[in-house]
Amino acid sequence: MGSIIILNGSPRAPKSNSKRYAGIFSDNCKCNTEYFNISKTNHYELCGKLGNFTDMLFVFPLYADGIPVTLLNFLKTLEQNPPENKPVVSILINCGFLEYKQNDVAVSMMKLFCKQNGYRFGSVLKIGSGEAILDTPFKLLVVRKIKKFADSISLSRYCTLQTTMPISPKMFVKASTTYWTNYGKRNGITKEQMETMQIEK
Amino acid sequence: MFKTKLILSDRPLNINIKSDDIKFINLSSLKIANCIGCYGCWTKTPGKCVIRDDAVKIYPDIAKSDKLLYISRIKYGGYDTIMKTMLERAIPVQQAFIRLVAGETHHVQREVAPKNATIIAYGEISDEEKEIFRKLVARNAHNMNFESYQIIFTTELQLEETVASEVEKWEASLS
Repeated sequence: MGSIIILNGSPRAPKSNSKRYAGIFSDNCKCNTEYFNISKTNHYELCGKLGNFTDMLFVFPLYADGIPVTLLNFLKTLEQNPPENKPVVSILINCGFLEYKQNDVAVSMMKLFCKQNGYRFGSVLKIGSGEAILDTPFKLLVVRKIKKFADSISLSRYCTLQTTMPISPKMFVKASTTYWTNYGKRNGITKEQMETMQIEK
Repeated sequence: MFKTKLILSDRPLNINIKSDDIKFINLSSLKIANCIGCYGCWTKTPGKCVIRDDAVKIYPDIAKSDKLLYISRIKYGGYDTIMKTMLERAIPVQQAFIRLVAGETHHVQREVAPKNATIIAYGEISDEEKEIFRKLVARNAHNMNFESYQIIFTTELQLEETVASEVEKWEASLS
């Protein structure tokens, strides 16, 4: 059985949902895992570690319909500093929208990176409603899917998986409105203030 | 809302823009930090980014523009770092709240003019990369209020010529 390096490409890595997803992955993975946040200053350090692992798991959120700049910049450094032994690349991506398919373009970008740079592509887990799902009863669905995802990497039986809240889009709009209203309330901001149409005024 | 014609480029360009109605911004000359994903622009200071660098001058222009031209190098089928950094910093133009667009969930827009967008994507771009980029811009259209859009692929060598040709078309339509 191999070993997996988990790289968190979220811009808010230390406080991110991606970190929580990575934690669930490690807890449910039969392989040894090592976790690192990608920061502006640790690209070379991380590139130097990769050759010691059979698998590399990128965990990140969808940002402006694609991969976050934090991850993009790391991939560009990795392109220039590849490890001698290239691990298999897997992806755990989450977006705040209900539809996990909104992650597809970012997955294609990662596949292209692998193709251009000679990495074997492994498993994918696409999560929809990823901002809030871990704090709902639907967390169970995510944990179950992450376990399956971890098994696929541990056993080198790579596959594509997905999950989201099993609710209608209309219900999701309602639930997310409550979620964000409460988020604002914790900062002392009302729903009406959050709904301002003004930009920089 | 006063509408503008905006060109955002990830590099300096030697082009002659005659019309005062067209604003050209070279992003590479500005100081724009990465979005830190704090949700401040949605839940603390709605409509305003908490990072007070040059990006705060740009996203109001993006919001106001009804004609928009993005010029960006392509990397892994997406916008390269300079343009992508700005697009990530433009989320104050949206609300945290979600709406349905063609049956799909997307963020509610604040005061954002519907856009006729042109994206000039340059570099050595393979067919596979072009296909990914087309899909990306189709997604952007939902999230960035593009009423219509076109993508023009070109090489670095032909970039200025391609941009000049588009600007001429804009100026002709303004006169």
